[in-house]
Amino acid sequence: MKLRRKRTSAPADATERFPAAPLDGPLLEVENVKTHFQTDRGLVRAVDGVSFSLERGKTIGIVGESGSGKTVLSRSVMGLLPKRGLVREGSIRFEGVELIDASNDELRQLWGTQMAMVFQDPMTSLNPVMKIGTQITESLLHHLDITKDYANETGISLLASVGIPEPERRMSSYPHEMSGGMRQRVMIAIAIACGPKLLFADEPTTALDVTVQAQILDLLQAQQRERFMAMVLVTHDLGVVAGRADDIAVMYAGQIVEKAPTRTLFAEMRHPYTEALVRSIPKLNDPSHTRLVTIGGRPPNLIAPPVGCRFSPRCPYVQDKCRTEEPPLISASDPGHEYRCWFPVGTPEGTAALERNRAAADAALLEADAATRAEAAIAGGSTGAGAGTDPTGGSTPGGVS
Amino acid sequence: MRLFAVKILRLIVVVLVVTFLSFLLIKLLPGDLVDKIIPFGTDAQKEVLRNDLGLNDNFFVQYWHWLSGFVVGDFGNYYLPNATPVSDSLGTALPISLELMLYAQILSLAFAIPFGIATAYKAGTRFDAISNTVAFGLLALPNFVLAILLAIYVGAKWQILPTQSNIAPFPLNPLDNWRYMLMPTIALGVGQIAIYMRLLRSDMIATLQEDFITTAKSKGIPTRRVLLSHALRPSSLTLLTVAGLNVGALIGGALVVERIFGLPGLGSKLTEAIFRQQYVAVQTYVAIIAVFYVVLNFLVDILYSVLDPRIRHARATA
Amino acid sequence: MPEQPHSPAESILIDEETVGLEPDSSAIQIGAIEGGPEVARERRRKGLGFGAWIAIIWLTLIVGSAVLAPVLPIPDPVADSAPAADYKSGPSVDHPFGVDTTGLDVFSRVIWGARNSLFIGTVSVVLGFLVGGACGIIGGYFKGRIGGLVGVPMDIALAFPPLVLALAVVTFLGRSVSNVTIALAIVSAPILYRIARASTLSWSEREFVLACRAQGGKHFRIMTREILPNVLPAMFSIALLGIAVVIVAEGGLAIIGAGVKPDVVTWGNIIVSGQGELRDASHIALFPSFVIFFTVLALNYLGDVVRAKFDVRESAL
Repeated sequence: MKLRRKRTSAPADATERFPAAPLDGPLLEVENVKTHFQTDRGLVRAVDGVSFSLERGKTIGIVGESGSGKTVLSRSVMGLLPKRGLVREGSIRFEGVELIDASNDELRQLWGTQMAMVFQDPMTSLNPVMKIGTQITESLLHHLDITKDYANETGISLLASVGIPEPERRMSSYPHEMSGGMRQRVMIAIAIACGPKLLFADEPTTALDVTVQAQILDLLQAQQRERFMAMVLVTHDLGVVAGRADDIAVMYAGQIVEKAPTRTLFAEMRHPYTEALVRSIPKLNDPSHTRLVTIGGRPPNLIAPPVGCRFSPRCPYVQDKCRTEEPPLISASDPGHEYRCWFPVGTPEGTAALERNRAAADAALLEADAATRAEAAIAGGSTGAGAGTDPTGGSTPGGVS
Repeated sequence: MRLFAVKILRLIVVVLVVTFLSFLLIKLLPGDLVDKIIPFGTDAQKEVLRNDLGLNDNFFVQYWHWLSGFVVGDFGNYYLPNATPVSDSLGTALPISLELMLYAQILSLAFAIPFGIATAYKAGTRFDAISNTVAFGLLALPNFVLAILLAIYVGAKWQILPTQSNIAPFPLNPLDNWRYMLMPTIALGVGQIAIYMRLLRSDMIATLQEDFITTAKSKGIPTRRVLLSHALRPSSLTLLTVAGLNVGALIGGALVVERIFGLPGLGSKLTEAIFRQQYVAVQTYVAIIAVFYVVLNFLVDILYSVLDPRIRHARATA
Repeated sequence: MPEQPHSPAESILIDEETVGLEPDSSAIQIGAIEGGPEVARERRRKGLGFGAWIAIIWLTLIVGSAVLAPVLPIPDPVADSAPAADYKSGPSVDHPFGVDTTGLDVFSRVIWGARNSLFIGTVSVVLGFLVGGACGIIGGYFKGRIGGLVGVPMDIALAFPPLVLALAVVTFLGRSVSNVTIALAIVSAPILYRIARASTLSWSEREFVLACRAQGGKHFRIMTREILPNVLPAMFSIALLGIAVVIVAEGGLAIIGAGVKPDVVTWGNIIVSGQGELRDASHIALFPSFVIFFTVLALNYLGDVVRAKFDVRESAL
C-alpha cells in the first residue's frame, strides 16, 4: 500500500531535490530514451532510442502517424506511464536533474508545478462527476500554500485567461455542460494553473471540430509566450506545428527519423517519410476534389520492427541496402538538422533511387499486364508473375497521383 | 421534475400491487380461515375474528378495509385466541431488525470500500489475489452457517458474547445493545463484504483506466486523492445500486440470523407467527417488509441520479 | 480464482490491432496508476484447472451418495440407531458425524438430506430456468408490448425480498416439499429471466439473426435455433449459482420455520434440529452447515468457470 497519508509540503521537497536550477542550458534533455512494454506477445518497442533537447520558452513539435510512438514518448518523458511491464532506458534531464529513475513520489513534486500535460480528448480527460472549479483548484491547493478563496479567485482568472465566458458561473459547472472546445480550454487552464515551465500538448486538437482547432492552438501559443513555458507539441498533422514550433522532430516506428528547425525542415526535408507527410497536407491552392496523397501500407509492428530502415517497406526510395542496414542519424549541412536515410530526398543518390524504383514499377506493371493477358488467353495460367519487386504489393509508392 | 412525478406515480402503483398480493396471500389458505387461525377458540372469539376480517363482505371491500387499516397503522391482530394488536409487537421488533440491517450494511461497506479500492489499485499483485480468494470463500458462506459457527464458538464454547438475547433498546443501554448486536451483525454483514468488494474492484479498475485519472495524476496530487476523490465516486454507482437492491437479501438474512441468535426482531416475530398459525400477523409482516423494500429501491433510484451529474443531465434533457 | 477477465494493463497493446498501431491514449490505458497487468494467461489455460476438478469431485460425491442413499450401508435416517447412552454424542467410528438428540445418525441424515435438498435446489432452478428463460427470450426478442407483458409478473416477483416471497408462499400454501420447490422456483425465475432477457437483447441485434429475419424466418424458429443456443451458456452459469442460492434459501426457510415440515430430512431441517444444542452437541448443526458451505463453494466455482469459458460479462446480469 503506497497510500501516503502524510501530506508532504510540496514546495519544500521540490527545492530539496531540485536545488537552484541553473538558468542556462536546456530545460529538457532527452537522450536515447527507450520505452518498451512487456506484453504476452512480446516486447513492444514503442519508443526506441529518441534524443532531443528543448530550450526554455521554445516549442518542439513531435510529428508522426498513429503508432509512431509519439504519445508514449511524451508520457514516458513526463513519467506518466503505468510502471508494470514498463522498461524505460536512457536519460531524461529536466533542468539538469535526471528523471528516468525518479520515483512517482518524486515526480509528483514536478507534475503540475514544473511540467503539465494537455491531453488529446477533452471529452474523457476531465472528471465527469467533479465540478470544473474543483478540478482547477485542486492542484493549486495541493501545490501552493494558499487559501480556498484565493484558489477560487485564481481559478476564475485562469478560466478567464483561457477565454471562457462567465468564468465565475463555469466554476460550478460539470464538464458535460460544456462543448469540446470549452472543455479543452478548461484542460489548458488546469495544466497551466501552477505555472509549469514545460507543457506537453498531446494531440490537443485532434478530437476537436476543425473550426476550434486553430483557436485552441493559438490559445496554447499565447499562454506559452505569456508564461514563458516550453512546449512539446505532439501531433500527427505537420500543418499544426508548421507555424508554431521552433523545431520539429518526425517520428516513425519509435524513432526520430528527421529533426530540424521548422524552416529548414520544410525547405530541405531529407527523409522520404517527412516528404510523404508534407505531401499529405491539403493545400489551399489545390483545386477542390484533389485526391490527397496518402502513404501506402501500415505502420510497422512494434514487436518485430522491419530489419534495416524501418520505413523501407513503405518507402518509394527503397534500395536493397535499406532492407539490411539500419541508417544512423546523419547530420545535414544546416545546424541542428539530422535525418536517418541512406538515399535522402533532394540528393543525387535519392533522386537516382526513386528513378530506379519508378522504372522497376513500370516494368512490373507491364509484366503483370502481359501476364493477365496471357492468363486470359490460356485459362488457368500462372498469376505469380505480377508479384514483382515490391514486397508491399498494393502499396506501390507513386501509384497514386 | 416531470420524471420525478412519473417515478412517484410508479412507486404508488408498485406499492398498491405489492400490498394487494400480500392481501391475496391469506386467500391462498385452504379451508376456513377462522378455523385455521383459532382452531380451539370459542364461538364468540371466532365471531370477533370473522368480523375483523370482514369475511362476509365482498372481496374488494375486504381489500379496501384491510388497506385503509394498513395505511393508518392498523395492522390487524394476533388471535391467541383473544385479539392483541400486531402493532404492539411491531414497535419493539421493527427497530431491532432495522438496527441489525443498518449495522450489517455499515460493517460490510466499511470493509468492502477500502479493500475494493486497494485491490483495484494493486490489481494483479499477490495482495489482490489473496483478497479475491478470501472474498470468493466468503461469498459461499451462508449467513446462517457463519451465525452457527459464531454462536458455537464465540457464544457457547468461549463465552465471549451472549447468544440468548436479552437485548435492550439502543437508547437505553448502547453498550449492552451492541454486545447483543455484534455477532448477528458479523454473521449478516460478512457475506456482503465479498459482494461489494468484488463489485467495486471491477468498476474501479475500469475507472482507473479512464483518461481523467491520468489527468488527475498529471496534476501531481497524491495517489490517495486520485483514488478517493477522482476514481471512487464514478466507480461507486453500481455499488450503490447493488447495495440498495441487496437490502432484499439483507432482509431475508436478518430474519434468519435473528432466529439463530434469538434477537426479538421481525424474524423472530415472523417465525413465532408462522408457528402459531397467526396468518393475519404473517400477512402484515410480509406486507410491511415488501413496502419497505419497494420504498427503499425508490430512494436508491433517486439517490443514484443525484450522485451522477451525467444521469441528472441526461434525464433533464430527455 | 476464475473471474475478472478484464484487467487494467491487459489492454495495453495486447490487441492484435493495437500492436504496431498507435499505443495512443485510448489504447495505452494509463490504468490502475501503478497497478499493472494481471496474469491473464493462467485463466485462459485449456482445461478446467485444479479447483474445478475438486469442485466436480465434491459435487459428484454429494449427488452420488444422495442418489445411492437407499442402498448405501448407512443407518436409517429417521429411526434410532444408537443406544440411549450415545444420544448427542460427537463423531465416532460408528457415527462419523455424531448422533443427534433423538439417537439418529447425523451422517446418514446428511446423506438423506442431500436427496431432498438437492431435489429442491435442482428442480426449482430447472423450473425457474424454463419459465424465466422462456419469458426472458420472448421479452428480449419482442421488445414492444409483448416483451413488457411478459416482464410484468417477473417485476412483481422482484418487488419482494426473495426470501420473504418464498416464506409467504410456503406459509400460505403449506410446508410440503413441492410447495417449497415451487416457492423457490418463483424466486429463481426472475433472476434467470433477467439474464436471458439481457443476453437475448444483445444477440437479437447480431447480423446472423437479422439475416434470418430478413429471409422471413419464423419468430419461433429464430428464437429456438438462433438465439437460444447463444443464450444458454450465460443462463447455465447463472443456473449453477442459482442452485447454490436455492440450497441456502432452503436452509434459511427451515430456520425461520417456513421450510419443509420437520419430519422431512433436509439439510436445513437437520440444522434446525441441532440449533438448540449448540452448546452440548454442536456437531448436529455444524456438519450439515459445512456440507452446505462446500457445496455452495463448488457450485459458485463451477459457475465462474463456465462464465469465464464462455466469456459472460458480469455486467450483463
